[in-house]
Amino acid sequence: MSIPASVRYTLAGISWPVYVLLYTPLVLVAYYSLTPHAASEWHAYQLLFSDSAVFTALQRSLILALGSASSSTALGVLLGYGLARFRNRHGRGWLSHLPGLIIYTPIIMPSIVFGISELIFFNLVHNATGLFAAGLQTMMIAHITFQVPYVALTVFARLSGLDPNLFDAAHDLYADGVKSFIHLILPVVQPAIIGGFLLGITLSIDDFTISFFTAGPGSVTLPIYIYSAIARKGVTPEINALGTVMIGTIIIMALGHFFITSRRERAGHFAARGNLG
Amino acid sequence: MSASQTVAATRRGAISLTGVTRIFTGAAPAVDHIDLDIHPGEFFTLLGPSGCGKTTLLRMIAGFETPDDGRILISGREMQDVPAHKRAVNTVFQSYALFPHLNVEQNIGFGLKMQGVKSPERKKRVDAIMELTQIGQFAKRSAAQLSGGQRQRVALARALVNEPEVVLLDEPLSALDAKLRAELQIELLRMQKRLGMTFIFVTHDQHEALVMSDRIAVMSKGRLQQIGPVLDVYERPRNVFVAEFLGLSNIWPITGHAGDRATTPLGALAINEPCQPGALAMIRPEKIWLYNDTAAPKDRPNQFFGTISEAIYMGAATQYRVELAGGQMVLAYDTNNQAAERSWRPGEKVAVELKPENIMLVQP
Repeated sequence: MSIPASVRYTLAGISWPVYVLLYTPLVLVAYYSLTPHAASEWHAYQLLFSDSAVFTALQRSLILALGSASSSTALGVLLGYGLARFRNRHGRGWLSHLPGLIIYTPIIMPSIVFGISELIFFNLVHNATGLFAAGLQTMMIAHITFQVPYVALTVFARLSGLDPNLFDAAHDLYADGVKSFIHLILPVVQPAIIGGFLLGITLSIDDFTISFFTAGPGSVTLPIYIYSAIARKGVTPEINALGTVMIGTIIIMALGHFFITSRRERAGHFAARGNLG
Repeated sequence: MSASQTVAATRRGAISLTGVTRIFTGAAPAVDHIDLDIHPGEFFTLLGPSGCGKTTLLRMIAGFETPDDGRILISGREMQDVPAHKRAVNTVFQSYALFPHLNVEQNIGFGLKMQGVKSPERKKRVDAIMELTQIGQFAKRSAAQLSGGQRQRVALARALVNEPEVVLLDEPLSALDAKLRAELQIELLRMQKRLGMTFIFVTHDQHEALVMSDRIAVMSKGRLQQIGPVLDVYERPRNVFVAEFLGLSNIWPITGHAGDRATTPLGALAINEPCQPGALAMIRPEKIWLYNDTAAPKDRPNQFFGTISEAIYMGAATQYRVELAGGQMVLAYDTNNQAAERSWRPGEKVAVELKPENIMLVQP
């Protein structure tokens, strides 16, 4: 089945304005970061790199991202495994889908609702027990909570796509529950674990809404810092410089990922062909 | 359990089932009070249509399912409550269930590794079994890079390398094409005889069961219909289900008898066996003799005249459907060899002879 040339050209024609729309703002950020600063003789990048508040915020963002992503990966793997292993394969009606629905809810919930409910919850607990003062720990808990479903669902998808006999086979070949988890489940879901972890980091660094509602006075992360800087002084070249650094980092990481995976794929194809020959 | 059964069941590789039952919620029993003794070193086949409970029975022997009632003895030890990973029994799955993250060698070595067999010894045993199953050259490939037949060999090697007391095979050849399947049937059989392990083979293919087994248990609706050596089950089926499941057959009800002749819809039939009430007369199509209507030997009983209504050429043999004068149909099978008198075309007049010694009585 082939697509008519006219349709193809039309689609290609539409795609270019979309690219322009996507990338022009990014280019503009980089452009404005280079314009001279009105209030200072320093260049925007000099200002940025000498601003210790930015680095503290970045540090917090990274701690939050790594901490929440690794915890939510560990929890999500167990949850995804449980969902896949003990699901009711022949279940009918909405009740058999209930576990899946509960997992989905945090994903489809608007983050503002999620953030406000976390805020109310932590306030209640704090007023009652004195625990959970707003700060990095409440942000950590909130971030873990919203990341777990993503990891669990990736792991669930991977496991439920497998031949159910694999679990019996491991059992049959003298592996008890713990051994089959270590020697079968973990290696098999490894791509999902890595994917879930990276997704968790991205979601955490990117998140503003939930962080905003759960943050305390001493826990300003990068998105919150940027927001408050803009609120105070408007979009300064310094903010543009920060944006440009972030865009650059992401592009370098994406390119790195692309080259690593494409090289691995080529190596894989080569190995396959070499063996078959 | 009788004394002889107890002695047999204590030997390595013997299996003894008593009253084994499995009921899934809200359904008729999948396996219903099965009593069965499997001898050490035997190639034993559980044969039956899909849903007859044969796979459930196999999964209970493997330890993937727990029986709701009854006892399972493996090499004389009670096993019904022992988990699968503590049973010296290995399974070859219908889907092969090869581990996707391991290569062939690692797949085969998995069981040894889990048992704590150290590397030099493990490698030696894995290499030996790969040699036996002729998959040495694929050692480093992943399962995804293998053909169906190769995967089947890996699955078999992965079970055999552990030197289990019993090997369980759940329709292991059903995903292969006919030619490869025939080759692997013979190969599997040779390997079993050479290793002397007990094999329990599950299949719905009667031909496969006949080719491979020492003994067959025919199952239907969770119950055993007949257990016996291949020849007995095919030649002397106990009931209509077994007769029809194992091959083509002609079956007529016996409505009474006059002297030594049984009354059937065909007419009076001379039968060697004593007539039992309610029994049916069964004869396999290949046991029926066909003649030109003028050439039939006049001095023998059970001859009927009719017309060929259908002739299906099948290479080695031709299958005929003969319509008798009384309207009854007879299925006959004639080998296309030199000795065959001739072949017939639809519409030709023939005589069929049902020799009394070839007619068996079966229960409904």
